[in-house]
Amino acid sequence: MDRFNNALTLFFSLLVEAMPFLLLGVLFSSVLLLFVDERRLIAAVPKHPLLAAMVGGGIGFLFPVCECGNVPVARRLIVQGAPASMAVGFLLAAPTVNPVVFWATWIAFRDQPELVFLRVGLSLLVAVIVGWVFSAQADLRPLMQPTVARAMPAVRDRPTAAAAESSLLQSGTYWLGQSDQPLRPDGSLSTSAIAVNPALTKPLPDKLWLLVNNIVQEMRELGGVLILGTAIAAMVQVFVPREWVLGLGQGPVTSILAMMLLAWIVSICSTVDAFFALSFASTFTSGALLAFLVFGPMIDLKNIALLLSMFRGRAIAYLFILAGQLTFLFCLLINLYIS
Amino acid sequence: MVKRSSNPGRKNRTGLWLIWLDALMLLAWGGLMLRFWLTGRINILLHPDYVWLAIAAGFALLGLGMAKLWEALRLTRRGIAITEPSESHTNLLPPGWSSALLLAIAIFGLQFTPRAFASQVAMERGVADTLTLTRSQPQSFRTSTRSEDRSLIDWVRLLNVYPEPDAYTGQQASVEGFVIHSPNLPSNYFTLTRFVITCCAADVYPVGLPVKLAGDRTAYTQDQWLRVEGDMTTETLDGQRQLVIQAASITPIEEPQNPYDY
Repeated sequence: MDRFNNALTLFFSLLVEAMPFLLLGVLFSSVLLLFVDERRLIAAVPKHPLLAAMVGGGIGFLFPVCECGNVPVARRLIVQGAPASMAVGFLLAAPTVNPVVFWATWIAFRDQPELVFLRVGLSLLVAVIVGWVFSAQADLRPLMQPTVARAMPAVRDRPTAAAAESSLLQSGTYWLGQSDQPLRPDGSLSTSAIAVNPALTKPLPDKLWLLVNNIVQEMRELGGVLILGTAIAAMVQVFVPREWVLGLGQGPVTSILAMMLLAWIVSICSTVDAFFALSFASTFTSGALLAFLVFGPMIDLKNIALLLSMFRGRAIAYLFILAGQLTFLFCLLINLYIS
Repeated sequence: MVKRSSNPGRKNRTGLWLIWLDALMLLAWGGLMLRFWLTGRINILLHPDYVWLAIAAGFALLGLGMAKLWEALRLTRRGIAITEPSESHTNLLPPGWSSALLLAIAIFGLQFTPRAFASQVAMERGVADTLTLTRSQPQSFRTSTRSEDRSLIDWVRLLNVYPEPDAYTGQQASVEGFVIHSPNLPSNYFTLTRFVITCCAADVYPVGLPVKLAGDRTAYTQDQWLRVEGDMTTETLDGQRQLVIQAASITPIEEPQNPYDY
């Protein structure tokens, strides 16, 4: 019974901690939708997939969201027709490469500033490489959840201004396409705004009301899966002994693997995970700490549930394997040759 | 999502029902966050530095909930039909389910009183005086403090910086914590323990020092909160030389409002 109470305390602790950041994330994402024309942003993205991935990784600095908040933004970028490399680069880098996280990590590791820069640099590197790899898939739609895929513009058939006329922001309805598209199940604000974002031209009060509605909708969607993910994370933490995880490693290889596993299980928000990693600063290799700080924000147990709102399982497996292997490789190099 | 009268063909009440559900869900979550704060139980869930975030989020959720409530009331009063919200856009969970799950968890949370972790968790996580983990907030070193002003965590941090137990022999200690009957200590010792929190309850870890008693430890039950005063000595316990508090006086105390240390 005690154990059950502990699991519940952990569960609510994670939720109460994650909720403000989730709210901040959907707020940024909604503001982005209503006040920023991503098409302009997307249009400005370089054509070369590598450069696009770099831009995607870098724009995290404009949107200080953690890994709960980046999914809706990345999802919208994809729906708006951003290149895969940019969206994936953003998805993986944004939770780490942003001012809030940089600041928090700096506070935590003031006496090891190299760790702060390595964290940001390595996250960007991994994100850019994975984004680049994803650009090999010209049409992302087979990898996306059907509802997201439906809202995505076809690759050869990027949205034009004319097509946009019909997609008034009548979210949650069926709309009759003006052209050849028949009765089409509409997405939400988040998935329906395909072309020119019609919300951009609305008067301010309407915009604010749309903002509220969009926040509520994304809160509802992401909050539901956050709860499922958090429940699993709390149960694993209480029912799998921590020593078992920690005991896995002191060596250069096993310590990295152990920290990656811990990062994956604990699912701690990227804004605050530096403090958590600090607790292991004296027992674990720098490479292992770095692996925790780089890999955790990219993919963890809680976050998989959120990613499932966007990608199919197969794509998440690719992301997971690629990001995991790259993180492991780079951190191992750091363990063996630098620290 | 609501659309008014632009699609008169497809009307039903499902949408309205969902707006009510959303409004209740948001109000319940806002209430839950604020309740944890007002009852002080939020200290068990979060590090104090992050409490303001939860409070701000609580107010924001209440505000959102009010807005939705206002919308729901207005639409209900006018009897406006809502066009059916798309069932197709939601991933994983249909909108009603997701809101209902959130609402259910919030209502459950409103009944639930989080309890600070106790000896069971501490034993599982391993109490140590060699904090694997002490480097958090090193600015709190105060080497000049009088030894009896040091908290348990201060002692453990000090011990990590300068791990020679003999250096502290004879210094006075006055520390608070809860009792753990560590299985690897003789029966006239218990471990006085506290949890250290760095962010939220997910990362609390226990630290503790052995306390040597005149009698048997069974006089003090596990998880009981005590203030222990005494002198520091060095003993060899469980195969290693350790700093031990030789208890002179032991006073039972209430569990602090904020049971963690920082």
